[in-house]
Amino acid sequence: MLLEMNDTVKRYRALTALDHLSLRIQPGETLGLLGPNGAGKTTAIRILTGLTKADAGELRLFGKNVGNKGGGAFPASVKRRIGLVPQDLALYETLSARENLEYFGKLYGIYGAELKKRVDETLEVLGLSDVGKKVPKKFSGGMKRRLNIGCAIIHKPELLILDEPTVGIDPQSRNHILDFVDEINRQGTTVLYTSHYMEEVERLCSRVCIMDAGRVIADGTVGQIAKSTIFEEMITLKIKEPSPSLTESIKKVQGVINCTLEGKKFTITSAVGSGNLPRILEVATPYTILGVSAQSATLEDVFLALTGKRLRDGMDGGEAS
Amino acid sequence: MTNLRQFSAVFIASFKYCWRNPVAVAVLTAFPILIIFVLGNALSSYMSPDYDFEPIPVAVAVAEESGLQIFLQNEEVLKFLDLTFTDAKTALELLENDDVTIIIEEGEDGKLIVTRPRTAGMNAQIATSVADSYMQTSKAMEYAIINSSDFHEITELMQILNADISVTETPLGKRVPSAIDYYAVTMLVMILLYTGMNGIELFNKSMFSETGERMLTAPVSKPVLISGLLSATTLTSYLQGLITFLFSYFVYGVYWGERIPLVLLTLFGVTLFSQAVCIFLLLLIKNHNAAMGAAQGIFWTSTFVAGGYVKIDFGAVQQVFDYSPNSLAHTVIFGAIFGGNESKMTFDLCLLFAYTAVMFVITFLLGKRRLA
Repeated sequence: MLLEMNDTVKRYRALTALDHLSLRIQPGETLGLLGPNGAGKTTAIRILTGLTKADAGELRLFGKNVGNKGGGAFPASVKRRIGLVPQDLALYETLSARENLEYFGKLYGIYGAELKKRVDETLEVLGLSDVGKKVPKKFSGGMKRRLNIGCAIIHKPELLILDEPTVGIDPQSRNHILDFVDEINRQGTTVLYTSHYMEEVERLCSRVCIMDAGRVIADGTVGQIAKSTIFEEMITLKIKEPSPSLTESIKKVQGVINCTLEGKKFTITSAVGSGNLPRILEVATPYTILGVSAQSATLEDVFLALTGKRLRDGMDGGEAS
Repeated sequence: MTNLRQFSAVFIASFKYCWRNPVAVAVLTAFPILIIFVLGNALSSYMSPDYDFEPIPVAVAVAEESGLQIFLQNEEVLKFLDLTFTDAKTALELLENDDVTIIIEEGEDGKLIVTRPRTAGMNAQIATSVADSYMQTSKAMEYAIINSSDFHEITELMQILNADISVTETPLGKRVPSAIDYYAVTMLVMILLYTGMNGIELFNKSMFSETGERMLTAPVSKPVLISGLLSATTLTSYLQGLITFLFSYFVYGVYWGERIPLVLLTLFGVTLFSQAVCIFLLLLIKNHNAAMGAAQGIFWTSTFVAGGYVKIDFGAVQQVFDYSPNSLAHTVIFGAIFGGNESKMTFDLCLLFAYTAVMFVITFLLGKRRLA
């Protein structure tokens, strides 16, 4: 196990930010940590990176018990294997992109020709080669975000932790970042990715942990969580000249929970995984079918079902996330 | 070896970061140079004998044979001021009738009181500046006399002033300070105190912001990180002071005496002290802007008091201010320039460095708690 956080508790006075949180990440995995503001994602990341001391619990990284001191007190051997991309930009605005990368590279013990090579590679892969000598304050939001990631990967970490790395950037830059994270994971880097954007997590992550109120309320692949959480799927069938008898026939199909007719549109609710669409279409064959759509559960639906709120509901709200 | 390389990485990057901050460079380097010019040189230049000037009518209500009266009756001053010596009541009537531009009085506590209309123009400003220059010059001479084994009586100062305000050499071969000499010292000490803001800015950025989080998650030890940051901000600040020093020396012709290494050492002590105080404030308040505000308040007050703009008659309080770091620096620098009491200068300089060491110890202990 690359990362193992057990029964971790963190309180800020009356607020319980982490409530006996347990997380595990296997080597090579991309784990998505989802949750609204106040769920405890950033607190969890701060503890995972040694920035904040937990009140209770155990943390093992790369097989080592790293203790619980906070204030960045992890052993250097552990720190070298982690890369952190904080939620906000963590750059020196008056140093050029190249100087920023060189600086953080040196802090991780990379010097000379190796450092130059890695800086060139990082600028290249992030699409910043042309602006390496410019200072970040002249960059667009997306370019700053990319450089922010670059500073975290210059030392080629085994575990890359990204705390909402695509907030407030254009779709093109977002795609660039997602492609990059995907690629770096394919090369063997383990990724812990937190986001408010469901589509990013669905696209990138092999496993998802959904957090709410400092606890993990669901853990698994998107499909597994959907299956255990969402019990209904929806099929919409449009018929040219529908008859009420067809409603009754559809209701008799195995797995169908309910069927309603409104105008020409049948709305059919089925149990998740019943796979009864072919049977329903067979029942409707005597009629002229104008259209069919089947909607499976998304992560957004899962989140809504689990927490009773939409993921982005909390975005205007609390501070500890 | 790794620690040394990391230290140099932190130091170089931080130094570049500080120097490329245009606001800090402008405020802490260009502004003081300008202020020294405006405040100091302006006073000196209007005292130049070549300056063609219509004397400004001024009413003076001071005791006869007072130091101020002797100063004002100096022939150089009389080139600029047309003085009417009278009592306070008559002086006020003259001012109300626009017969004089300002009134100069000496308060009971020896303080200088200048009265002028709210809408006073340039002439009133110049006349006020002459009165102010008396205070500044006498303050500077006071330092020289108190700290010099060659001078003992305040009357000697008045004799020197009375003889010729623009003399450059005293009978003992020492130059009498002009206004710009005094302003340059005060301003340089003040800006070096203010350069502690560099420390607040850099430490906040590198330890308490998102960038700081990245730094703390990097495999660099805190002592290496902190010493790198401190060295960078101290050197930046000291260089800013040094630029002002060199500018005042070569461009404005400020007299810094013959013991320049001692002056520079004292200025280094002030720089270190200001860094310690500012970093302490940042750790204590945990808010960048509030720490900046607090530091400004402390340094402004300290400069105001040490600069002699207010006289504090409560013995104990005055002593506290006399032993304030700002005042100690003034004493040592003026002593180095004009010949002060060696043992007192040594004591004051040691005390300044001792304050700095104590501040660093307190800051270190506070930092250990804050960063845990």
